[in-house]
Amino acid sequence: MRKIIALWVASVVLLSWLGYGQRDPNARCLLECHANPNLKREVAPGQFKSLYVDYDQFKASVHKDKLCIECHTDVTVIPHQRRPDQIHCLQCHYRGNVVGAPVSERPERYKESVHGKAVERGDPNAPDCKHCHTVHAVRAHTDPRSPVYRANIPKTCGSCHIEIYTEYLESVHGQALQKGVLEAAVCSDCHQEHDLFPPDDPRSSLHPQSVANTCARCHADVKIMERRGVPIKQVEAFKKSFHGIAIEFGVLKSANCISCHEYHKILSSRDPRSPIHPLNLAQTCGQCHPNASSNVARGRFHIIPSDPDAGIVFWVYEFYRWLIIVMTSFFILYIALDLYGRWRHAGRSSHG
Amino acid sequence: MPSDQVKELSEERTIERINLQLRVQHLALMVSVTLLILTGLALLYQDSVFGRFLIALEGGFETRGIIHRIAAGFLIATVLYHFLYILFSRVGHEEFMQLLPRVQDFKDYGATLLYDLGLRAERPQLDRYSYREKFQYWSFGLFVVIMIVSGFILWFHDWFFGLLPKWAFDVAIAVHSGTGTLILILLTLWHLYLVHLSPGRFPIDWSFWDGKISLKHLQQEHPLEYKRLKEKGLL
Repeated sequence: MRKIIALWVASVVLLSWLGYGQRDPNARCLLECHANPNLKREVAPGQFKSLYVDYDQFKASVHKDKLCIECHTDVTVIPHQRRPDQIHCLQCHYRGNVVGAPVSERPERYKESVHGKAVERGDPNAPDCKHCHTVHAVRAHTDPRSPVYRANIPKTCGSCHIEIYTEYLESVHGQALQKGVLEAAVCSDCHQEHDLFPPDDPRSSLHPQSVANTCARCHADVKIMERRGVPIKQVEAFKKSFHGIAIEFGVLKSANCISCHEYHKILSSRDPRSPIHPLNLAQTCGQCHPNASSNVARGRFHIIPSDPDAGIVFWVYEFYRWLIIVMTSFFILYIALDLYGRWRHAGRSSHG
Repeated sequence: MPSDQVKELSEERTIERINLQLRVQHLALMVSVTLLILTGLALLYQDSVFGRFLIALEGGFETRGIIHRIAAGFLIATVLYHFLYILFSRVGHEEFMQLLPRVQDFKDYGATLLYDLGLRAERPQLDRYSYREKFQYWSFGLFVVIMIVSGFILWFHDWFFGLLPKWAFDVAIAVHSGTGTLILILLTLWHLYLVHLSPGRFPIDWSFWDGKISLKHLQQEHPLEYKRLKEKGLL
């Protein structure tokens, strides 16, 4: 009897130790099939798609506590009898979801974006969520190992947009990012991530009327610009300039930031390859103003007349400011004196 | 008593003091400059409710610019015509000669101030064109020339790009808006006050339309001209 009790206790202890209660509920999916690196499906004659799931990666992802069947909801028996449907992240990641899936940048607007529309058209190269976020190894954007971590975004977008990626790497933004400056602009800072529209769409962050505001997110941020030693008033000055005013009132052919600064390959004005290098300005302005000569390089750009940095324009502005004050005071004084004189003499003559 | 004499004079506007030529030129200036100021202010204050209201009133941003340029063309034509008039018309030339500044104008200005303050008993004897009209004519003339030159640079900036450095365009913008503001102040606080808003003329003096002035007014405001006309027997 004691032997039987001892055996029973031992087996309970052993089973507990084996972790029966803690056993991973995903284990069946893995043990049966998906832990096998060679598991694949023939999608076309001679073409295979791997069905292997790197479970270590999954356990390091933001979804580590989820069950396989929480996303693959149509799998009701294991092994499943038919191929599960494609899942969509929007199953959980929509505004107002009850499972607490984070919704940071309106992913539902992805469907309206260039990528979403391309997927809808059936473009086989168009990216879905998984192309940027990965499938089972989704990590938070704050995790340096995530493909959507700031420093990794250009590379992630660059996996399709290869030419733009190489251009970007040469730009001031790309160079800074490679030096580890995390606040340097990456693709999504200008293009947005999920609501990515073509520039002729008024909703786009790169619509001609929105470009200046998009650049201003960093270039009007005193802290960032001071840290990087970049002038701060450029966007404000642009908005006060003829180009800026015309754009605001819907003259879309007017120049905006990228008309002169380029976009992916933005270079410093000290770089001889830059369109805003003094030697290249004639050509850059010449895109719209055919008579532009080297004269256009003689003078300051992005000036605010009331700011001493504007040089001669500041002094002209000051001169007029004072002249206006002096002339107004002079006229008002004259009117006051004239009225006083009339009142005086009217009083006199009525007495006389 | 001179004051009794004044009372005897008619207050009816009977004497044509400004001829048709000048009235037409003045009307052309009035229309073109008013349009220029309204369309100019719209751009200068485009970031305020006032400016946006003006822009909407003027048919939108680009139409505003077109109206501004049409009015500018009209003003330039008027100025050119005025030059021809003072150069080649005998009457125009005589009028212009009377508008040339003299030392007497500064004395008259000082005397007026003293008279208004009660430090001088006699009212200064002003002629057809006194410091008031001359200040108006010459400052407005100077401002208009500045506006035309700076405005031309901005209007034909594409052409001037081959000629002027970049800073010249920025200066042209500052000069154009600054001088425009000065013109607005000159016209409202000096011109409009003197001709319409001052006591005795308020709310409007119709002489800008028919050029006529009353004997009383002529004797009060332009005593030397009055005397001269009387001696010639033209009254």
